[in-house]
Amino acid sequence: MNERLRLLFAEAVDIKFEHLQNSEMSIEIAYIAPLCEENKINDFIIVPFTKDAYPFQSQLDTNPEYRQVEDIAKWQELLLRGHVLIQANQIIYAFDASRIISIENPQTQVESAIQGPQLALSEDLNISLNLIRSMYPSPDLSVEEHTIGSLSKTPILALFDQRRVDPSVLDTVRDKLTSINVEMLHAAGELEKLLVGKRKHLFPTILITERPDRISKAISKGKVVILLKGNMFAIILPATFFDFMHAMEDDYDAYWMTRFLIFLRYASIVLTITLPALYISVVSYNPEVFRVQLAFSIAGSRSGVPYPSFVEVFIMLFMIETLIEASIRLPRYIGSTATTVGGLILGQAAQQAGLVSSIMIIVTSVVAISNFVIPVNSLSFAIRFLKYPLIAVSIFFGITGVAVGLFVYITYLCNLRSFGKPYMRIFGKLRPLEGDVGQVNVE
Amino acid sequence: MNAMIRISLAIVTLCLLGACGFKDIDKRFFVVALGIDQSENDKKPYRITLQLAVPSPKIEPGASKTQIETIDAPSIAEGVRMLKAYVDKEIDFGHCKIFILGEKVANSDYQGALEWMMRRRDIQSVANIAIGKPDAESLLKVNPLSERYPGNTLFLSFGADGTESSYTYVESLSDFSRRASEEGLDPLMPVIAKDNQESFIINRTALLDKKRVRLVLNPSEAQLYNQLANDFTKSSMHGMFEGLDLVVAITEIHSKFRIGQQNGEDTITMDVKMKVVFEEAPKGLYSDQWGPVQEDLNKEYAKSCVKLLRKIQKAGVDPIGFGLRYRATHPGSDAFKKWESMYPTIKFVVRANIIIEGTGLIK
Repeated sequence: MNERLRLLFAEAVDIKFEHLQNSEMSIEIAYIAPLCEENKINDFIIVPFTKDAYPFQSQLDTNPEYRQVEDIAKWQELLLRGHVLIQANQIIYAFDASRIISIENPQTQVESAIQGPQLALSEDLNISLNLIRSMYPSPDLSVEEHTIGSLSKTPILALFDQRRVDPSVLDTVRDKLTSINVEMLHAAGELEKLLVGKRKHLFPTILITERPDRISKAISKGKVVILLKGNMFAIILPATFFDFMHAMEDDYDAYWMTRFLIFLRYASIVLTITLPALYISVVSYNPEVFRVQLAFSIAGSRSGVPYPSFVEVFIMLFMIETLIEASIRLPRYIGSTATTVGGLILGQAAQQAGLVSSIMIIVTSVVAISNFVIPVNSLSFAIRFLKYPLIAVSIFFGITGVAVGLFVYITYLCNLRSFGKPYMRIFGKLRPLEGDVGQVNVE
Repeated sequence: MNAMIRISLAIVTLCLLGACGFKDIDKRFFVVALGIDQSENDKKPYRITLQLAVPSPKIEPGASKTQIETIDAPSIAEGVRMLKAYVDKEIDFGHCKIFILGEKVANSDYQGALEWMMRRRDIQSVANIAIGKPDAESLLKVNPLSERYPGNTLFLSFGADGTESSYTYVESLSDFSRRASEEGLDPLMPVIAKDNQESFIINRTALLDKKRVRLVLNPSEAQLYNQLANDFTKSSMHGMFEGLDLVVAITEIHSKFRIGQQNGEDTITMDVKMKVVFEEAPKGLYSDQWGPVQEDLNKEYAKSCVKLLRKIQKAGVDPIGFGLRYRATHPGSDAFKKWESMYPTIKFVVRANIIIEGTGLIK
């Protein structure tokens, strides 16, 4: 066996080929050392074999951990997945000794909740599955394994409740998963793009989350969840727009407060999309919309600004967007410094230098802050982009343009489908309603 | 690619069409008040005065700066266009909330001015309109001491944000234009007078017909009119009881009227219900019976109301809208003609129902 394997693999020092012999038999083993746990190999193969207290052949036959491999073509793949190949009496066995490096029990970081489960999914599929299974202890939970990527061979798991799942969605998901043809796959976002299929999309139609409670809830609602190996995030599909606006804490906290928070979220989404555009259109087209006092104070503070209002908006938005981007990319310790320096000092200085008006500083900060109110990051990113087309329209058409632009956005949202399900259906629950307008029925 | 070209072409054309309104807020000169007077020149009968706001980032009392521009012109529109050449920024009427007609204009013919105001698209219909005494120009030159924003004093006087005087009748442009054309409902306007260099007095109301001023109500009549026609509550009422002065503050007032026949005569019956609290009262009223006081107040109030209504009737105007009600309840194309012949002789009956809620004191 070892001779053959030597031919199959490129020259690599980390591939170990050993020949072991004890009193009754001799075996050959092969494994890639960095991928395997040496302890496991010692405990299960080398020590029992050399000790020779119990016949090794019968151990191979009885313990199901040693799987018999009949197909030579699978050797390579098994070794690359961290298996040990054992040849004993001309029969090849594979033993899983893979070592997966992952963060132990990571805390939720992207979607944190004050009261609610604090553990996030793990990069190790088994730990993630453990979390989900313990939160959704139902015999109906079905787990399917698929592999994606001709090179990366990333294992992915599709989870769903076999009684509650929407069969049409499940069929599409299976179809898509088997038809995906890529070399490498590493992140949930990548898989999302592959699943959606459209190259240019504006809104996320698939929910990416790290919270096991969101996942178990989604499964109970009949959605399909996809886990990726080596990725802390899971994919939930199909998703509606309102799922993205839903924070898990809405289910945990007091009724009126959470309703208020939901209202706040939608209000701030409207603000963050429209405010810069409205600023331009009101300041440059319809100043009579302001109250008199505000109109005069804006006119006063703008009188030193040399550029038209839209240049002012572009300057400030460029500044704030670079700031946000910088504070995401920077290490966490420097990140806060960047925001302080940028937000406080730059804004103040820009206004004093007469580059922008003081109202514009307020507009920019409202836009930036209210953008972060959106609970799911992918929607927050999508929304961040939406203000720019509106700004462009408002430069030429004023308030009318903004209104029409918003209408176009809403139309587009209503046109979107997430795995055949309407994206903008008002009631976030996914129930297969017959006769629902826009419902795509696949029976 | 074809689609891209088409879309960009469409955008370019739309941009060319739409790019005419862009003008930054600091490149606009906001007119805060407009005065229209009659000039001595026959060829240029209109004297237009614009009060232009000079915005400043600093906001403190007395810091408001305005620029006054005056021009004589053959028509208002031409005058305003001509004034554009006098200033460095685009004149914007978007925040012009006060229109002052000089007394002479109001006494001769206001229709031309009104026409222009209604047609211009950047003039808001919520703007207030008033008569300036003796003329609009001198009023606009008044520089109130406490003014924080240009034109703010007049805005506050007429709006609901600042003072709410029971003597001030607030007339908006839309209401005025409606009244100026509606049969059976006549326009009316407050009269602004100058106190000295620093403040205004707005306590008279002018009643107009479809063309000019017919009657000017004095302050107490103006207040009474506001109570009757607008149910204006923050006002007071003066009365006598057994030879002693009484002043009551009105906390609630509702009035309604009915046009009908009484004893064979055409009559307008007005019911006024109000709840009042004493503001000035003789001592000892607290423990007295209020019944007789109410009776006296009722009688006195009804009397002064009838007097006011008669006066308005005599002037031949109908600002409360009796005629409109008559037209609404009497179908037929000649209803208004009938009403016109009826109105000069119609009888008024006012039934006041005053309820005293308290003396304003706690024992």
